[in-house]
Amino acid sequence: MNFDQLLSISQLANALALASLLTILASGLALIFGLRDVMNFAHGALYMLGAYLGFSVGKVFSFWGALVLVPMVLALLGVVFELGVLRPLQKRAHMDVALVTFGLALIIGPAVHKIWGTIPISVEPPPSLSGSVTLFGEFYPVYRLFLIGVGFSTCVALAAWLKYTRSGMHTRAVSQQPHVARMMGVNTDRLSLLVVCLGTGFSGLAGVLAGPYLSVDPGMGATILISCLIVVVVGGLGSIGGAIAAAVIYGFIQVIGTILLPSLAVLVPYMLLFIVLLWRPQGLGGGRVS
Amino acid sequence: MNISTLFSTSASSPSARTIRIWWWLWLALVMVGLALPKLLSNSFHLTLLTNGVVLGIASVGIGFLMWQCGLIMFGVAAFIGLPAYLLGLGSDKLGMGLSMAVFFSLSVSTIFSLLVGLFVVTARPLPFAMLTLALAQMLKSITMMQVMRPLTGGDDGLTMTFKGTFFGLTQSQLGKASEFWPLAWLGLCVVLTLAWLASNSRFGLVLRAIQANEERMRFSGFNTFLPRLWAFILASFIVSVAGVLMALNSAFASPELLDFGTGGHSLVAMLVGGASSVAGPLLGALLYTWGQDSFGASGHLELFTGIAVVVVISIFPKGVIGFLMQLVAHLSGSDKRG
Repeated sequence: MNFDQLLSISQLANALALASLLTILASGLALIFGLRDVMNFAHGALYMLGAYLGFSVGKVFSFWGALVLVPMVLALLGVVFELGVLRPLQKRAHMDVALVTFGLALIIGPAVHKIWGTIPISVEPPPSLSGSVTLFGEFYPVYRLFLIGVGFSTCVALAAWLKYTRSGMHTRAVSQQPHVARMMGVNTDRLSLLVVCLGTGFSGLAGVLAGPYLSVDPGMGATILISCLIVVVVGGLGSIGGAIAAAVIYGFIQVIGTILLPSLAVLVPYMLLFIVLLWRPQGLGGGRVS
Repeated sequence: MNISTLFSTSASSPSARTIRIWWWLWLALVMVGLALPKLLSNSFHLTLLTNGVVLGIASVGIGFLMWQCGLIMFGVAAFIGLPAYLLGLGSDKLGMGLSMAVFFSLSVSTIFSLLVGLFVVTARPLPFAMLTLALAQMLKSITMMQVMRPLTGGDDGLTMTFKGTFFGLTQSQLGKASEFWPLAWLGLCVVLTLAWLASNSRFGLVLRAIQANEERMRFSGFNTFLPRLWAFILASFIVSVAGVLMALNSAFASPELLDFGTGGHSLVAMLVGGASSVAGPLLGALLYTWGQDSFGASGHLELFTGIAVVVVISIFPKGVIGFLMQLVAHLSGSDKRG
């Protein structure tokens, strides 16, 4: 066991990089769940679509262009998703709708493979973010620092929106007490359109950001979806603050576990899920038990 | 309406005579099924049908749990892969004869489901789905761990050598569709009967009542935990039968069996077929296997499955079988009137 390595700054930064990617995705998932009570199993597929779109748009324009355009395209898809799937099915059992999103994930996956092929693509970070800097005496890739920065500023922006705006307040209200909020006159349909767009837009953002960090490959959606689901459930269903906290904890557990117990590290997230769900079914953030 | 009384899980009580007739018809169907390899000369179709039947067994198991308890087992793969590996461990590492290994694999897998069930059956549907999915992923990671390599073969999988026979079938016979068919078919028939009896008994009634309103059942003095635990164990056992059959047929187990995708096949089959009756998941599994054969080569299978899931769940919540039963009810209804 090497504690020097454990405590190194770059490991810390790695944990944060993973956490910020998960935070962006998981908060989108938590937002959609909060408003619609639906676990969106297509979130991983949307993230993959975002990554591939990011790759193509990045080739035509630039990475920065992709970073702006792709989330907008995904947000438009969110409109279709809300109006075409979530709204017509809102009277149905929540599990049914979740299964429909699972079906959508099965559709998006092969469609993406059809267009971009199944060979993993590596995306170069933009010139201004390539290379590495010295961080407390260690070399560290700039891009990951950028990723951490974007991840956490997204969180701050989201938190500010939730805390200080009227629509944010309504979102919190619906997430915590859907019935009461509706009785008090919150228009959930209008709000949910905004929130679902935001959620899918976030998945696009995460996809573009993931490109240069991980590689863009056909399995990326499924892999991260399971991590995201764990994060959202551990954080407390519908609780956005809980999701952010859980993403950070997840990132640290994953990275530190890889150093301490490499053979058991893969099991740690699942253990975390088991322990949290059995010990505290409402999750860390005290979300609803659904 | 007779068809729906046979297959529907919430049947109104028909007379003892009709029930007896249906039992005889069912027995006749089982016998005809056994003779199928004689009737079906094309061995490719038989292989396909065998795969469909084995997949159907797993789907019947999760369909039972979904309809009776409202719980969807996302990690079906856990109870497909575990017994498959156990069969290999029993026959290869523990030196058991084949029949003993099958018994060992099914019983250990069922005991494991009891232990898991103690924790997970009280969970709400969504956490339940997550927990079982995590279970399957955990088992998959364990089989792929470096330290487990001598036992499980890691990524390469576990090739099994069976000693002795199972119902008089040796390893090479089990690998042949025509010889393997009776085993799969009888397995399916036993499983269907089990699930049907459980659904139409007092046990099934209690389960559905708990699903509808657990609190009220508790207030009425019912134990709401044990019936759900039994249902989980029964469902896991049924899925384990499918896992053992797969392993017997292929004599091979790989981490892929524990992958979400493997469980996904039976999950999709169950959803498309419809869980509202025992026969629905089986129909779904047969359709799925047929689809796998037709679209698998073109690589569009996943796309079509996705479309099927979306369409069936949004338009026919009770699946294809629900739609068919509605159609039959409608037609027989209009017959009576006309």
